[in-house]
Amino acid sequence: MKLLTKTSINQFLLSLFILIVTGIMLLLLLQIEVSAEIEEQLELQSAMVADEIAAGRTINFPLVQIDSQNVTLLKQPQVFKDTLIYDRIQNVSEDYYYLSETRKINGKDYRVRVMTTHIGLTGYFKAVGYIFAVMACLFILLGSLMNYFINHKVWRPFLVNLQRLKSYSVSSKEGLQLDSSDITEFKEMNSVLSELAAKAQKEYLALKEFTGNASHEIQTPLSIIQSRLESISQYPLELEVARYIVDAKQATNRLSRVNKGLLLLAKLENDDFPDKELIDLKESLNSHINLIEDLLINKGMVLGRQISSKEVHASPFLLEILFSNLLSNIIAHSRSGNVIISLDNDRMIFSNEGEKLNFPESKLFSRFGKGIDDYKGNGLGLSIVKQICIVNGWEINYNYSVGMHRFEITFL
Amino acid sequence: MKLLFVEDEPVLLEEMESYFSSLGFICEHALTFWQAAAKFDNYTYDIVVLDITLPDGTGIDLIPTIREKNAETGILILSARDSLQDKLKGLDLGADDYLTKPFFVEELNARINALYRRKTFKGAKQIIFEDFKIDLVSKLLTHKADTIPLTRKEYEMLIYFVVNKNRVMSKSSIAEHLWGDHFDQSDNFDTLYVHVKNLRKKLSAASNNDYIKSVYGMGYKFTF
Repeated sequence: MKLLTKTSINQFLLSLFILIVTGIMLLLLLQIEVSAEIEEQLELQSAMVADEIAAGRTINFPLVQIDSQNVTLLKQPQVFKDTLIYDRIQNVSEDYYYLSETRKINGKDYRVRVMTTHIGLTGYFKAVGYIFAVMACLFILLGSLMNYFINHKVWRPFLVNLQRLKSYSVSSKEGLQLDSSDITEFKEMNSVLSELAAKAQKEYLALKEFTGNASHEIQTPLSIIQSRLESISQYPLELEVARYIVDAKQATNRLSRVNKGLLLLAKLENDDFPDKELIDLKESLNSHINLIEDLLINKGMVLGRQISSKEVHASPFLLEILFSNLLSNIIAHSRSGNVIISLDNDRMIFSNEGEKLNFPESKLFSRFGKGIDDYKGNGLGLSIVKQICIVNGWEINYNYSVGMHRFEITFL
Repeated sequence: MKLLFVEDEPVLLEEMESYFSSLGFICEHALTFWQAAAKFDNYTYDIVVLDITLPDGTGIDLIPTIREKNAETGILILSARDSLQDKLKGLDLGADDYLTKPFFVEELNARINALYRRKTFKGAKQIIFEDFKIDLVSKLLTHKADTIPLTRKEYEMLIYFVVNKNRVMSKSSIAEHLWGDHFDQSDNFDTLYVHVKNLRKKLSAASNNDYIKSVYGMGYKFTF
């Protein structure tokens, strides 16, 4: 639930509670007050009627009744009561309130009954209900208007910054840019976030620099090991020693490959490739396939090409690595069967027959995310492929259906 | 052919110098930027193999000096950095080729030979061994008067073998030469074996000689 919805609901419930409590109180107080006034008025009327009788004048008014004969009635105490009187004009029975009391006037008992119209609880309830319903409506209407305003003015920087944080990456060259706000809490949050982002970026750069330097420093000793091993190979060797040397050479080769891969990844994240030019992918892809076609054929694979022209603005160096990695992936993981490589204006697809992956697809593009026990690769190839796609703003997806692995690169 | 190796790592220098001397090239070396700069003042070379990271400067800055002295000198950059910027800058300044460490000395030799042929007109247009002749322009192999048809890979492999004759070359070295260094070559050894077998068959069918010798587990050696 959004913060604003939550506060709005709470605010609305609170207003409703206040409205109901104050409404009931208003209703009761009003009734008590008005009833007291009516009773006072009736008592005054009764007193005035008594004065008239004492003065010897006859009272002749429909809402006043005087009785001096009924003995049982004369013995009754003073009483306030409701009654219904038929209203001829409005054609309904109306609520009336009367006072009936026995008064001693000039030594004689008179039963005097005076009455007036009565506003009952329903009457108050109607009036108060209308007013409070209007108040509740206004609360909701103006409340949501105010929320809308707050949402757009006060919360705006927060929401904008949230969006920026979502798309922020420590590997991006620009620091975290946040919209300023005049709200203290937001200001504080912005400064904390900026600090955090700067720190993360600094640490990321340090790590990247370390990876780059370490890889570079490893290349030279590796060159020495490799060339010395090659020199040893020139001598006549016993079979066993030869085997040791071959193993050492292969390990050196693998190490060098991993190292180069890491170095390349570090550079890819830095977007260090200024050699972008307009390239016809058709030509470049075909020449790469031609180079390794013999490897596919020798493994018993049948190659199908559906390649049409497509111009892209990209680094030829990176394209070479992209093609090589995807092709070597096919060569390494496929024993025989069909290989289909297609390219059109929207996408490039590398697909090959093979067994289903024996590890989760999500690990396919992650570094060293391999799951195969006898895997010979270095676990960086597809990670590099993905990074190259990102650098070029392309999307790469993998799926497996009807026995075919399929890598699809969509040009966006 | 006169070579200069500008390289601060003594072991690599020794490896390169001993191999290229054994091939009959005249080799000199410089360990630092200033040693190299002094050499260019006094001598000219056919090919300079230039390491980029030197203790007192970057090899890239030497390229204009070399070019100024002699436009025909072939310059091959050798770098541990595998940096595209270095490569582009180097080639832009007039370097002819670029090789990343670690490298196979046979590959360096093949590049130097190709560069020498391309750069100067001193290089031969054909390679001859025994009765065979490889025409580098038409890319044809002939034995006496007969043309021996070769696939593209067999042709490339033959040249690689011939320029590096009498050296035990590892399978990785040959595979990397044929398919580039982006591949994990151990996947390709079976295919390499097929190519070697076919080339060997074609050469011995023409001459009755087996030139390609398998060295157990290590690789192959081309002898004549």
